Amino acid sequence: MTARVLLLVAALAIAAALPSLVGEFWVTLLTQIMIFGLLALSADLLLGHAGLFSLCHAAFFAVAAYTTAILQVRHGVSTALAAPAGILAGTILSFVFAFAVRTRGVYFILITLAFGYIIWGVAYRWASFTGGDNGVTNVPFPAIGGLRVAGPTQYYYVVLVAVVLIALAYRVLITSPFGLTLRGIKSSESRMRSLGYDVGSHLYVAFVLSGLIASIAGVLYVYYNRFINPVAASFPVSVEAVLMAIVGGTGTILGPFLGSGIILVLRNWVSGFFHYYTAVLGIVFIVTVLFAPQGIMGLVARWRAGNRGEGA
Amino acid sequence: MSPAAIAVDHLSKVFGGLRAVDDASLSVASGERRVLIGPNGAGKTTLFNCIAGTLQPTSGRVLLFGDDISRLAENRRAARGMGRTFQISNVFADLTVFENLMLSIIGADGRKWIMHRPVSRFTAERAQALDSLVKVGLADRADETVKFLSYGERRQLELALALNVDPKVLLLDEPCAGLSPSERQRFSQLVAGLPRAITLMMIEHDIDIALALADRVTVLHHGKIILDGTPDEVRANAQVREVYFGRA
Amino acid sequence: MLAPPGASFALFLRSFMSGVILQAINGISLAALLFLLASGFTLTFGLMRVVNMAYGAYYLLGGYIGYSVARRTGSFELAILCGGLTIVVLGFFVDRFLIRPIGHNHLAQVLLTVGVAFVIGEVCLAIWGGDNLRVAIPPWLRGGMELPGGLFYPKYRLALIVLGTSTAILLWLLYHKTHIGAVVRAGVDDREMVNATGINVDRLFALVSALASFLAGLAGVVGGAFLTLNPGAEWDILVLALVVVIVGGLGSLEGAILGSIIVGLLDAYGRWLLPEFSYFVLFGPMAVLLLFRATGIFGKEQ
Repeated sequence: MTARVLLLVAALAIAAALPSLVGEFWVTLLTQIMIFGLLALSADLLLGHAGLFSLCHAAFFAVAAYTTAILQVRHGVSTALAAPAGILAGTILSFVFAFAVRTRGVYFILITLAFGYIIWGVAYRWASFTGGDNGVTNVPFPAIGGLRVAGPTQYYYVVLVAVVLIALAYRVLITSPFGLTLRGIKSSESRMRSLGYDVGSHLYVAFVLSGLIASIAGVLYVYYNRFINPVAASFPVSVEAVLMAIVGGTGTILGPFLGSGIILVLRNWVSGFFHYYTAVLGIVFIVTVLFAPQGIMGLVARWRAGNRGEGA
Repeated sequence: MSPAAIAVDHLSKVFGGLRAVDDASLSVASGERRVLIGPNGAGKTTLFNCIAGTLQPTSGRVLLFGDDISRLAENRRAARGMGRTFQISNVFADLTVFENLMLSIIGADGRKWIMHRPVSRFTAERAQALDSLVKVGLADRADETVKFLSYGERRQLELALALNVDPKVLLLDEPCAGLSPSERQRFSQLVAGLPRAITLMMIEHDIDIALALADRVTVLHHGKIILDGTPDEVRANAQVREVYFGRA
Repeated sequence: MLAPPGASFALFLRSFMSGVILQAINGISLAALLFLLASGFTLTFGLMRVVNMAYGAYYLLGGYIGYSVARRTGSFELAILCGGLTIVVLGFFVDRFLIRPIGHNHLAQVLLTVGVAFVIGEVCLAIWGGDNLRVAIPPWLRGGMELPGGLFYPKYRLALIVLGTSTAILLWLLYHKTHIGAVVRAGVDDREMVNATGINVDRLFALVSALASFLAGLAGVVGGAFLTLNPGAEWDILVLALVVVIVGGLGSLEGAILGSIIVGLLDAYGRWLLPEFSYFVLFGPMAVLLLFRATGIFGKEQ
């Protein structure tokens, strides 16, 4: 166990030292990786622990981002208020969409897909409020009290700290009894019911918590990108978040971030020489599903089990 | 007179054109050992599912210690003291034995909502889990993932889970199905040793075990209850012999 | 000179009423198109338990192929045939080599078929570019015709309603009145039973799948004549088709018919009355329905 702790501390130290070792390109890419890793983590709370495949997390992400952006840009609201407001807005939406947990399996997938579309549709068509296709631009860097983020490197640290704190809280959540109940539901819902659990209310709470995390990712995103448009609410963003969790390894904390790293680095590299990057992403979907459904962390676990001489 | 532990009042369950359970009425006294027998497809599991709340009956009522629970959801019935095991062993295969038991222990109260402390710190519950493991003979398997357990061990685990909800009524659906003869012996001894404070209702195919354990036997055929009596009465009944033991 | 108030109200009422009727026809014509796509999706799910998110991409690819064939040959009928058949072939390969290995895992099916849709979408982008394209309407369907009441309405959309209705009737008859339909219905209810009766289930699946694929390609050509074909259109149409099957119930043909009508009308009226919130009008009722009946109007309990 202490080996793991040391490894994590070392990783954190490297992460902290990184901006002074690599150029701005990598700093901004890593910031993006952390933000989308967080979005993937939010989707994975439902997928990896409760067994629900949600396709609407981009909606919470985008609503939070738009709220913060509109407040800062059009109404001059300061970060201290705009950021929490964004998180709140996204979370309130998740309270509404959480009714999807009345369904299961493929119905849940389809309904969350449709929910995600509602928000994308509103972002796109309610142009008088959201700016439509053009979105909201010129979002300033965050500033609280006297502290002002001056550039990408400082923002990288803001995101790093936020992500580490959330990851720690997430760890507490999934190792708690509540986290165990989610895994129980995923394993056998009928057994849970016969043990007295109101499965629906547990899933509802889990959904709202995951919406909260996605909203935080959205607010972090809008200060990173300094711009928000309907694409952030689109279906590809939701489905990519799930893919990141799967590629990295669902049910883990590191997995979604690993997956985010792989997908985003791949995108950056491929789009440099191949215009049709989305086709490559599609192939990643297909290959992952057919050959590596447990993701990277799954492969690591199997390798470790193999090394220890256990059955895989 | 104290109310029956379980009472079923003119209960029917219809699926499309099939009357799986047809106007069934029975009454199980507190502390009684009642065994349900009948050929395959007689409606025994369907009846169980209606009593437990997994299925909603088409008509009729289910009463628990005199209270009408017909409209109550499955988990609320469990909270009122109804435990059950399933025909095909239903445990949390991807979790460890300890985690399985933990879920059965904290299910009853607010502990299941705790989000700020890790499960590993719940020492009292762990002790309680180990306790129930000893009772069902699985003491040394606490940290094994359940999918690596044998089927017989899963059955034992499932009984431990059902017992942890502190049931007043226990519904066992073919608890010995899929077990080897020696495992059957051991399991039926376990069941026979359960305290009389728990009312037992059991579906059992093995006639010998059924008649040995039962205080009373209810015989189902094509969804209807054709006989309700003591093991001797059932043994002697000609219709039951024809229906159940074969055309002899 | 000002007209008396009564007269202008009557005018408003008349134009409102004709708007209502116009949108109703718009809605029904969209319903016809959605039915073509949704019926295949719902039957594929009902029988094979396969969720295929590439149906929108099948629609788009079929439409683009129809567009090119129509341009090259001037024949709308040939365009439909080519569009439909291409998707039958494509669908066969996707089913056989990609979907079949993953079994009944819905999550895997969704991810995989989304990946397939992404690939198809990009191929279309590479070949046909990003502009909005429209399949040429055959001359005999161009223009409008006058309806009773003085309304003038595009012939093509009316023809679409005829096509949708006759397809619905044909499918319904096939499903409920033929031997093969009975086998499919039995399969939707209980696959194991059909297996056990010795009927070649694989061939049955392949047949239903091929029909669904053809309908998707057909829908693309037919839809591409009045809705535009462009990158992203595959998701727009898919979401509508998905709402149809959610509302109507997965696996139900009647559900696809009813759902298409409901969605088509909601879309038309939504766009007319509340253009900025038309998606709310569309999905709101769906959400409310699900609160009360989690498997749709005709869906079966899973």
